Amino acid sequence: MSHFRFLDDSPGSTARRFIISGAIWFFVATVVGLVAATELVAPDLVGARGLLFPRIRPVHVNTNVFGFLSMLLVGCILYAVCRLSRAPLYSEKLGNLAMWIWNFATLAGLITIPMGFTQSHEYAEYVFPIDVAIVVALVMLTYLVFRTLARRTEHLLYVTSWYAVGAFVATLIVYFLGNVMWHAKTGALTGMNDAEWSWFYAHNIFGTWITPLALGLSYFWIPRESDNPLYSHALSLLGFWPYFAFYLQVGTHHLIEAPAQPWLKLIAEINSVGLLIPVYAFLTNQWLTLRGRWWKVPDSVVLKFIFAGTVMYFFTSTEGSLEALPSFQRIAHFTNVTVGHAHLGLLGFSGFIACGAGYGVLREMYGEIWSERLAHLQYWLMLIGIGGFTFVLTAVGLLQGSAWRNGETVYRVLPEIFPFYIERAALGCFIVTGAAIQVYNYVRTAQAHRQRSERALYAVDDTAIALRREAEVAGD
Amino acid sequence: MAMTPRSVGLGMAILATFATWTVLFLPGLTAPNTPSDIVRPLTPKERLGRVLYIKNGCIACHSQYVRPTDWDYSGLRVSQRGDYIYDRPHLLGSERTGPDLSQEGGQHTDDWQIAHFINPRYPRPASIMPRFSFLSPNEMDALVAYVQSLGGKMADQRMARQRHWHKLLVAAYHRGADYNASYLRSLVPPQWSTMPNPYPATQVAVAQGRFVYEQMCINCHGPLGDGNGPAAEWLDPKPFNFTLLKRHRWSGGLIYYQVMNGITGSAMPYFKEDLESAKIWDVANYVAVHFIGKNIDSGNDLNGIPVSRESAPPAEHEPYPGAKPHPVAPSPYPPPQPPLPPHPP
Ligand code: HEC
Ligand code: HEC
Ligand code: HEM
Repeated sequence: MSHFRFLDDSPGSTARRFIISGAIWFFVATVVGLVAATELVAPDLVGARGLLFPRIRPVHVNTNVFGFLSMLLVGCILYAVCRLSRAPLYSEKLGNLAMWIWNFATLAGLITIPMGFTQSHEYAEYVFPIDVAIVVALVMLTYLVFRTLARRTEHLLYVTSWYAVGAFVATLIVYFLGNVMWHAKTGALTGMNDAEWSWFYAHNIFGTWITPLALGLSYFWIPRESDNPLYSHALSLLGFWPYFAFYLQVGTHHLIEAPAQPWLKLIAEINSVGLLIPVYAFLTNQWLTLRGRWWKVPDSVVLKFIFAGTVMYFFTSTEGSLEALPSFQRIAHFTNVTVGHAHLGLLGFSGFIACGAGYGVLREMYGEIWSERLAHLQYWLMLIGIGGFTFVLTAVGLLQGSAWRNGETVYRVLPEIFPFYIERAALGCFIVTGAAIQVYNYVRTAQAHRQRSERALYAVDDTAIALRREAEVAGD
Repeated sequence: MAMTPRSVGLGMAILATFATWTVLFLPGLTAPNTPSDIVRPLTPKERLGRVLYIKNGCIACHSQYVRPTDWDYSGLRVSQRGDYIYDRPHLLGSERTGPDLSQEGGQHTDDWQIAHFINPRYPRPASIMPRFSFLSPNEMDALVAYVQSLGGKMADQRMARQRHWHKLLVAAYHRGADYNASYLRSLVPPQWSTMPNPYPATQVAVAQGRFVYEQMCINCHGPLGDGNGPAAEWLDPKPFNFTLLKRHRWSGGLIYYQVMNGITGSAMPYFKEDLESAKIWDVANYVAVHFIGKNIDSGNDLNGIPVSRESAPPAEHEPYPGAKPHPVAPSPYPPPQPPLPPHPP
């Protein structure tokens, strides 16, 4: 890193910069989240209007989704796609440009939302110019992925690359339509129809963007780290197409109790339960890949993070399908159960996979992680944080839901949930500390060692492919 | 099927087209867009208030739709699709850190709303809503107008009543405390204003009443009950001063009635959603004992047994210390039957 170039063209620089940006945004977003959590306990903590809870909550959410998760996952997936196709990235310069655009978009959102520039739809708060920047960056990245794959010297297209292609293509469509980008000023339609569109978007920013990237990385790392062939090609297929087919249609399960079209709610409910098929197919495939190698999980920090991510995927998805059922939704909707589910999904599942994959990529690029011990410490801090979050938020949500159902007013329940809010803010400290460790560890890794040459990288790259071939030959 | 970049990309595009057609375009094309019976377009001022609602992220804590299972303030009417035909963007919300606002319009007077935005802990001491005191007077006006429009024509009806009574109450208030007290009493049905508090003002009851007062009333009526809580600055008429007007008629029923239903037209809100019956009687006892300095209970020592119409049976044992003796009327019911003889083995 001796001389800094804005549009670096050295191999791996796009992936590296995406990953380190993601780690930095993780820290920023969680600090913002911690302030927000504290304000729920001490509402008079800050007076500045830009720092009030309702203005920084969307900053926390968007910086996590677009800064932390998107950037870390994109960095790792670009790296994985290159390794799996045994070809360098089509253009590092283009990749770097996309990286800068993405960073500026996130930064712009961080500044504009507290100033009151928001389109008000959840996860789509960014105003039009930022939306444009993100779409431009997405187009560039999609192009990069396709061109890189076109140059692949490995004939087989591994599952990770399916997810990469699927995520980029579907997200381009979802982002453009979901943000109603042809209405630049409002980014909205009218009435309940607007709600149906915006929840289609909000759901799919996880369904077609964050989650598939994380799933792809799990497919990449679990066989490599455990040195076992991927369990089943059939399960990979079963986990892939039905996944997208179901996911794209579940948006209205956020509006089960709102006056959305009844048949649309029915579609959403059926597909939400159906989603369990690809989810469990994926999990079976991952966990059986680990058969006979479970002992490797605690030793490798990469595997540890990613395995924990898959476990939390199990919980969050099973819970999600329950939440989509009217009988459970009656108690859970509008409460912190949803907040718990969202954290388990975004931080517990995709966040853990992103952090682990980031360590994996940096370790391969630089030979070793600066401090494995710090990484393990970070794992435990984050695990305590997210485990506690899930427990506390679900408990307080069920408490709220049942109290309201029994006729207590929201105001009367506030003192009852107060202690939970304190616990939640305290648990947030664990996560912020974890995020700080991660930035430090990533940056030190990149500084302490020389990046390996592209040639050296090829030497380590082909385990997953080779193993999967083996599985195919074995007649799977 | 061979998984190649092209087949995956193409498959995804086909899936997305199919899905967006079913879940986006089809609903848009088939949606009934008829206005509901209560919806009306916003006025320009209310629209400005809506923009402030969006800018300030109120949606982070407030929803705007009512489900069939909801209670609370807005549990008056289940929301319909036609309620939203003018909304752009929609503001349905997904979290209820604060109450639903679908029917907020007219639940409170404008001065309550302003005091609440200046500092939510004035009218609602345990609130965790942030302060919006930085809004300029114009903006505050617009935000209040928007909030008071929520509920459409139902809100308009409530607002009309609030405005009507507000004028009368302000006039009464400014004619002096004495006049005001008599005026407020004239608004309470006589069967309530003559009813003593059926529950005795025991130590526990008063302590419970105090807890309720601290959570619900303290920043308006003040810690001393003199109506000088911090909210008073923003209110007209000012919160009632309980300490001055001892010679006026006070009764448990009077306070109960006013607390349960509020005083329409003033910032005094209704508490029938927040407080169960026993808590209202308790807070009435607390206010009477502590601030007014009167015991307004009926002297009924039947603590713990629901107060019902029949009078108490003759005491078979000494009343507990402090209980007031009260005349025992003959019971209208026949005396209880002697116990049945034990069943033969
Ligand atoms: C931190 C979450 C939070 C935010 C943000 C928030 N509120 Fe609230 N709001 C609450 C809570 C909690 C209550 C219930 C206690 C109270 O009345 O203060 C409430 C109550 C209210 C009430 C009174 C409801 C009633 O009839 O008792 C109104 C009106 C209201 N909020 C409007 C707004 C508006 C307008 C905004 C944005 C400018 C806003 N709120 C932002 C949490 C929030
Ligand atoms: C938002 C401020 C506010 C809150 C909170 C509030 N009050 Fe009031 N209250 C008022 C105002 C204002 C009046 C006077 C109305 C008038 O003079 O027209 C009033 C009047 C009253 C009266 C009528 C007195 C009479 O003799 O007619 C009683 C009783 C009362 N309040 C009790 C309570 C109790 C008990 C609570 C808590 C459960 C409470 N109030 C909470 C503002 C408030
Ligand atoms: C089978 C899989 C899943 C199903 C069926 C599902 C279902 C649901 C449902 C029904 C809700 C709405 C709850 C409510 O408002 O009452 C919800 C909310 C949410 N889900 Fe999932 N979920 C699944 C997996 C995931 C995953 C893997 C993630 C993260 C990557 C995730 C992230 C979220 C988020 C962030 C919200 C909160 C949305 C809001 O702001 O209200 N979900 N989910």
